[in-house]
Amino acid sequence: MQRVRIVLWVLVALAMAALAFLMLRPAQQTPTQQQPMTISSVGGPFTLTGSDGKPFSSVSLGGKPYAIFFGFTHCPDVCPTTLARMVRLRQQLGAGDRPFEILFVTVDPERDGPSEVGKYAELFNSPVTGLTGSPAQIDQVKKQFGIFSQKVPDSNGGYSVDHTSTVLLFDGRGEFSGTIAPEEGDSAALAKLKRITV
Amino acid sequence: MKRVLLAALLLASCSKSGPPDLQISDAWARETVLGQTETAAYMTIDNRGSGDDRLISVEAAAPAKAMLHASGSSGGISRMRHMGAGLALPAGTAVQLKPGGTHVMITGLGGPLHTNDVVKLRLQFEKSGPRDIDVSVGAGGR
Repeated sequence: MQRVRIVLWVLVALAMAALAFLMLRPAQQTPTQQQPMTISSVGGPFTLTGSDGKPFSSVSLGGKPYAIFFGFTHCPDVCPTTLARMVRLRQQLGAGDRPFEILFVTVDPERDGPSEVGKYAELFNSPVTGLTGSPAQIDQVKKQFGIFSQKVPDSNGGYSVDHTSTVLLFDGRGEFSGTIAPEEGDSAALAKLKRITV
Repeated sequence: MKRVLLAALLLASCSKSGPPDLQISDAWARETVLGQTETAAYMTIDNRGSGDDRLISVEAAAPAKAMLHASGSSGGISRMRHMGAGLALPAGTAVQLKPGGTHVMITGLGGPLHTNDVVKLRLQFEKSGPRDIDVSVGAGGR
């Protein structure tokens, strides 16, 4: 019995040590944090492909503020939740019909062509612009906006995509103004949206 | 003997072995558009019984498939993973499957889902066995 007790205490000690290690180790670096990026360099002019298959240039935003979110159309939860929230916040802002544009850019151009992003954007019963492009174009725009994405195999033989979940906000001059994270409350998010729409 | 009692006490505090009593409410799924073959379903599973249970798998009518998934965001990156071990449903607790968190991912949909359509799902529980539910399709803007 004495021996069992010793073994148990050793196990307890090991568990404590493991717990301490988990609590004290530095937070894992995520890929976006590793990319050196200054605030003023985020964003800038870009050209992608619209849902009509024609080039979509950021110039066509005509100086309107915009919220840009990167996702993929096979994403059933996080992406529609985020876009639906942006639509709801835009309505709550009460600053007219369309005080800022909502852009949805796919990080999965292999599966998401113009019609896929276009139809997906229609899910929200409010204007959302779905954008795609060649893999090289998408890579370029991801880099420009500091977006991370990575394909992950799923158990059906297909794949899912891990991706940056924050929405990036740009004012009427095209300057980066801030981000909205999924876990952030609505009042903080609305304050940020007010800032780009004044 | 004391140790046996202590062990029993520890076990008892870990899991409750009475009968679970599951109430499933507010089950809804997101609308889809033509060409989209996936959606997510959400619900509240309230275990009002005196024993723990576990949602171990979900089935949809063929050819669609359903799977328990967890979405999460950490360090600004969102990830979605299959919950192979299922979902714990402790006694006396209402567990919510909600947007941006635990959800049932439905794949292989034959056509678009419109508001007020109904999706049938069979939930397999470890103790309560199978339970068939109707999931109503709500607007994507929800």
